[in-house]
Amino acid sequence: MSTEFGVWVAALMTIGLFSFLYKDNPFFKVCEAVFIGSSTGYWAVVYFFDNLQKKLWEGIFPPDGAVGDAWLWGGAILGILMLCRLSNKIGWIARWPVSFIVGATAGLYMINYFVSSAMMQVASTMQSLVVTNGGGIDWQATIGSVVVAVAVVSGLIYFFFSKEHTGAFGGVAKVGIWFLMITFGASFGYTVMSRMSLLIGRMDYLFGDWLGMIR
Amino acid sequence: MVSTANQGDRRCATNLIRLLLVTFAVLLTFLHNRALADNSAVDTSSVVSASITPLAPPTSLVVSDHVYDNAERLDLVWVPSIDDKLIASKLIEYRVYRITDSGDGQRIAVLPAGANSFSDENVESGHQYSYYITSVGADSEFPSISSEPIEPEREWLNYHLISLLLICMIIGVAITYFIETARRGKKLFIRRIAGLEAIDDAVGRATEMGRPILFIPGIQDMDDVGTVAGVTILGRVCRVVAEFDTKISVPTSRSLVMTAARETIKTAYQTAGRPDKYSDDMSNYITDEQFGYVAAVNGIMVREKPATCFYMGTFYAESLLLAETGNSVGAIQIAGTSNPMQIPFFVVACDFTLIGEELFAASAYLSSEPKQLGSLKGQDLGKAIALTAITIGVIAATGSSAWHIGWMQDILNALESIFLTR
Amino acid sequence: MKREIPLIITFSVGVLLILSVFIPPTEHWGETFSLFFDIIAVFAFFLGGGNLVRTHISKLSGKKAGWVYSAVTLAAFFFMLAAGLFKIANIGGIGAPVTENGSLFQESFNYVMNPLGATMYALLAFFIASASYRAFRAKNREATILLVAAFIILLGRTPLGVAVTSWIPDSWDIFQIPNMAIWIMNSPNLAGQRAILIGIGLGVASMSLRVILGIERTYLGEDKG
Repeated sequence: MSTEFGVWVAALMTIGLFSFLYKDNPFFKVCEAVFIGSSTGYWAVVYFFDNLQKKLWEGIFPPDGAVGDAWLWGGAILGILMLCRLSNKIGWIARWPVSFIVGATAGLYMINYFVSSAMMQVASTMQSLVVTNGGGIDWQATIGSVVVAVAVVSGLIYFFFSKEHTGAFGGVAKVGIWFLMITFGASFGYTVMSRMSLLIGRMDYLFGDWLGMIR
Repeated sequence: MVSTANQGDRRCATNLIRLLLVTFAVLLTFLHNRALADNSAVDTSSVVSASITPLAPPTSLVVSDHVYDNAERLDLVWVPSIDDKLIASKLIEYRVYRITDSGDGQRIAVLPAGANSFSDENVESGHQYSYYITSVGADSEFPSISSEPIEPEREWLNYHLISLLLICMIIGVAITYFIETARRGKKLFIRRIAGLEAIDDAVGRATEMGRPILFIPGIQDMDDVGTVAGVTILGRVCRVVAEFDTKISVPTSRSLVMTAARETIKTAYQTAGRPDKYSDDMSNYITDEQFGYVAAVNGIMVREKPATCFYMGTFYAESLLLAETGNSVGAIQIAGTSNPMQIPFFVVACDFTLIGEELFAASAYLSSEPKQLGSLKGQDLGKAIALTAITIGVIAATGSSAWHIGWMQDILNALESIFLTR
Repeated sequence: MKREIPLIITFSVGVLLILSVFIPPTEHWGETFSLFFDIIAVFAFFLGGGNLVRTHISKLSGKKAGWVYSAVTLAAFFFMLAAGLFKIANIGGIGAPVTENGSLFQESFNYVMNPLGATMYALLAFFIASASYRAFRAKNREATILLVAAFIILLGRTPLGVAVTSWIPDSWDIFQIPNMAIWIMNSPNLAGQRAILIGIGLGVASMSLRVILGIERTYLGEDKG
């Protein structure tokens, strides 16, 4: 059994959170409160040193005497405008930094998502339906290729908004949702074992590092 | 017989000639070394001029301006030293030297044997740069001929992305066109999305049961598109909540999201004519820590037992934790996320799930405003373009691969060059 | 002006960042925005963190239900804050990195936050079991398809899956469960992911355009576009 104070704290916190599986209880509530408080304090410190000190202060006034980036004053001004939210009278000014962030996010990610999610996926789908292997047809790969093409097309048709899923169109959309269900089932099944390994890790800590029952 | 005086004169002349030849040879050697030192303009302390092991330098060094950049990159290519290929381990490395504006050579990179290219990204417009590459052995270093000076140029438009720009403009114009058409009164059909149709009933259920509604706008910040989508859906949901006068709780994982959520909820209550019912406590910041937030939300769920849970935004591993806990308290759950890896967990655990782009369409769908619905038609046009491109591309790829039809290969190449912009 | 200025800001910034993708001298504007965002987030944190402290102090002082836990939350918060800001027990002193090994801040992270986070993550094992139990009671065709696909993938990653179909000859090896699992991941799963991603790309573009053009304003607390 470990004699380290830290290990005992960690082990008891672990058991406290696991107790949630039974039901809500004071032990879990204490661990939850500790988690919320300590993590908020942690991020407060990280924001102070990484963002405020390093990125803002040292960005404007570099410690090595180099020329600072005056543009960062803009970020500081927007940040201060954010604090206007505390006042009822001028709280509406806090919308300006929010609109800056949302506008920038929209502009930045519009192209990025469009290229990486839409255009590159379209290009990747343009593969031959018939796959050859040393002169003959590789039937397994060919069937796979046909399935990919059919699944992508039917999946896209499922997502159409401006047509009702009836008739032939509805039939193709139905095939599309079936392929999507296969996708979801595959992702689900793929993740199960990795989640189990997380639990094994925690059990290893409790029975190994804390209780010393596993060497 | 030659006279002694003549012999002595001849000997004297011979010696003089020999002396002159030696002097000339020494002078020539000196001048040659001097020329070498001048041409290479090398920091001689770093180059061993007294070569012990001869080493062939790289050849055919070509320096070119990297296109479509902000004058910040020059690309070097060369033919590696012949000793690099013929004799293993004779050449250890290459060193790249840069001369800025006819100044001294400065070593900027060391590359392994076999290297034949390098990109210098520490250049600026307004300066002339030339380079030479040296072959480095165990005890020697031999430079290549220096390249001609070149100045990096700035381009104001990235022509590689022209096809992307055109496609974006087509879709942008289409979306704008459909928005305008809808604004002029044309009715637009949008198919039913079950998850969004269920919102009214879900809110009504919470009102009847006297239990609150829980809305989780994801765990990312306002610089994430999923969160922006989640907050816009929050506004639509809150309009219904305000009309039903149901209690809503919006715990957030980011302070900025809390600020935006409060503005959204406040306006919804004002629009519904119930500004007095609004309270800042409807949205609270919990913690930035992913699982700390989840622990808190799980605690809220089991204690307050919400009747309806909405999960709209960007989620990661915590999606199943939230959805299963919501299930255990008997809540009706409507989820939507753009993270394809988390959609399966919501599909399994929730009553309704918005898949992928349905999350981004939700706000427009719920608003029922023609302008917003017009944008959904534009999305459909984009899908139609994608379907057409895929169909043509697959046919072209099959034709060129299976039957070696040349013009089909050309079509495929053209399509790939359009859609693979980077 | 109260309504117009935010919309003008959204439009200008959005358009500028879209154009910055195509104009090489402005390509770095995206990085500048990230820096701006990080700075704004700090100031926003004052609001959020302040709200957290205010809420729990209010609970504590009013002795409302659960006030003991509010006290614990506040104690943990100020403890961590003090440990980090004053670099308590930091070997390098006040000028050292805050995450120096052996410092109270780093030890608290190692023995409190880290185990708590890992434990919450580990709870997924239990929740995925309960979700699987519910999912595997397939009620309709779509659920059955999901169930079968999940089952094959799950079995394919275990020794049991290898053993169950090991008798199938190599000429029909595609019907061996591990190979079926690989084929499902590489073909229909891949295709479904692609269809979802293409839709997401278009959906983000459409929503971004609505936001930039000011048609979508709910995030600002505006009602109608």
